[in-house]
Amino acid sequence: MSAAPKIAIRDLRLEYVDEERGQRHVAVDALSLDVAEKEFLAVVGPSGCGKSTLISAIAGFLKPRAGTLEMDGRPIGKPGADRGVVFQEYALLPWKRVIDNVALGLKFKGMAKAERHAIARRFLEITGLAAAAEKFPHELSGGMKQRAAVARTLANAPEIMLMDEPFAAVDAQTRLTLQEELVRIWETSRVTVLFVTHSVEEAVFLADRVVVLTPGPGRVKASVPIPIARSRRSWATLNADPEFGALRDRVLTLVRGGDA
Amino acid sequence: MSTVLAAPSLPLSRRLARPAKGALGLVLFLALWQASVPLVGLEAYFYPAPADVWRAFLDLVAKGILPVYLIDSIGRYASGVAIGTVLGIACGLAIGISRLADRTLSPTINFLFAIVEVAWIPIFVIWFGYGFKTILIALTYVVFFPMLYNTLVGVRTVPQVFVNAALSLGATRLQLLREVILPSVLPNIITGFRVGAGFAFRGLIFAEIVAAKSGIGYLIFEGAANHQTARTIVGMIVMGLLWLGIDNLYLKPIERMTIERWGSVTTAERRE
Repeated sequence: MSAAPKIAIRDLRLEYVDEERGQRHVAVDALSLDVAEKEFLAVVGPSGCGKSTLISAIAGFLKPRAGTLEMDGRPIGKPGADRGVVFQEYALLPWKRVIDNVALGLKFKGMAKAERHAIARRFLEITGLAAAAEKFPHELSGGMKQRAAVARTLANAPEIMLMDEPFAAVDAQTRLTLQEELVRIWETSRVTVLFVTHSVEEAVFLADRVVVLTPGPGRVKASVPIPIARSRRSWATLNADPEFGALRDRVLTLVRGGDA
Repeated sequence: MSTVLAAPSLPLSRRLARPAKGALGLVLFLALWQASVPLVGLEAYFYPAPADVWRAFLDLVAKGILPVYLIDSIGRYASGVAIGTVLGIACGLAIGISRLADRTLSPTINFLFAIVEVAWIPIFVIWFGYGFKTILIALTYVVFFPMLYNTLVGVRTVPQVFVNAALSLGATRLQLLREVILPSVLPNIITGFRVGAGFAFRGLIFAEIVAAKSGIGYLIFEGAANHQTARTIVGMIVMGLLWLGIDNLYLKPIERMTIERWGSVTTAERRE
């Protein structure tokens, strides 16, 4: 990583208030992390390590209590279209058809309907949802909803795509398919991705590099490069691949508290 | 076996039979009423027969009284509901979105909510006199509160993830309001409208009894005061029909539309 990082995080401290108890919790403390341009970075860690809070901060939903958070050398402030977010709960607007959901960010930019629909249709094709364009979100399965949410984020051409446990709510079978599709989609779009998950397998399968956080308050425990070629990333190939197995076991040990 | 064969035709026969049954009930009611008149044996001004009421109805129409009263009532009702709805939605959105509006307006609004419109009517009459202005303000007042509270609940329950999603897609505050908050609140607005429209109708009849020289409420009150009981009954029947008209032509279609396009969809999505 010789080039200037896309995202630079230094000594970050994030806190959130437990609404029910009115207590302040430290989610992340003294966390420093760089995300390189066009990198697919996965963040894993035990639950409560502040992975999702980190996404909220980069997205601009949450202000840091200490430390700095920069994108391209400029401090990150309010939420904006330059940082697209894919949420675990999809967050598709139920009163809009799939095509209008996907075109929403372009509408916010003031793009004419025909133009934004054309772009939305292209991303629906990439995500395999062309046939569902005119449907409402409640007519889609969980996997299709998340495909639509990814299409919506990518159609808006963000500089970084923040993915907050995006496949946690879909069934195991669909999840494997979505992971393979994301590898393929990312090949075509090559946007910088920060992907938060609690699944070590998922992280190793998808990412160029996996960052392991310590139990809360989270900070970076280890950074593991995943030098597996993109062309080999399908479950049929990787399941029995010794390199994948070794990397997965190494990250798993780190998450469980060991040193590897 | 027979139930299986009969099943497909059942909904159709029900649909045909329903108005017929309803009409039969009405005819029976009128027949009993007519038959009871000689049994009761009171003067017509005290206990009028259906025929007396029908005659009073024709008389009121011929003299042009009923059409004018009906138009007055509908005009007051529609204006009061419209103004109350707009004000209620506007205040509900403002209080729901802006903390400043919440802190400055909420205590006063909660206090005013406790003073029901009936309590205001005497002082409105002193200020604005009998008729349109007083009734309009009273009805606006009645509609305002359910509109406001339902809109407010709607704004406060907009899922945060929708707001975050829109902001991350680059929405401005105005775009957020138009594309996320308003559509999300619409089912609540419809609920508030339905409640408010019902309150306003009762309010209308009451306000016309107290504070008007025309209208259906006034007809009901004046008829009884002048021993024109048949006119009172005409007024009551017109009141019932008027509400059925408002409900069927106006409220139910709006509600159906939103339930089909919105309600079920929104609740299904929110439950996940």
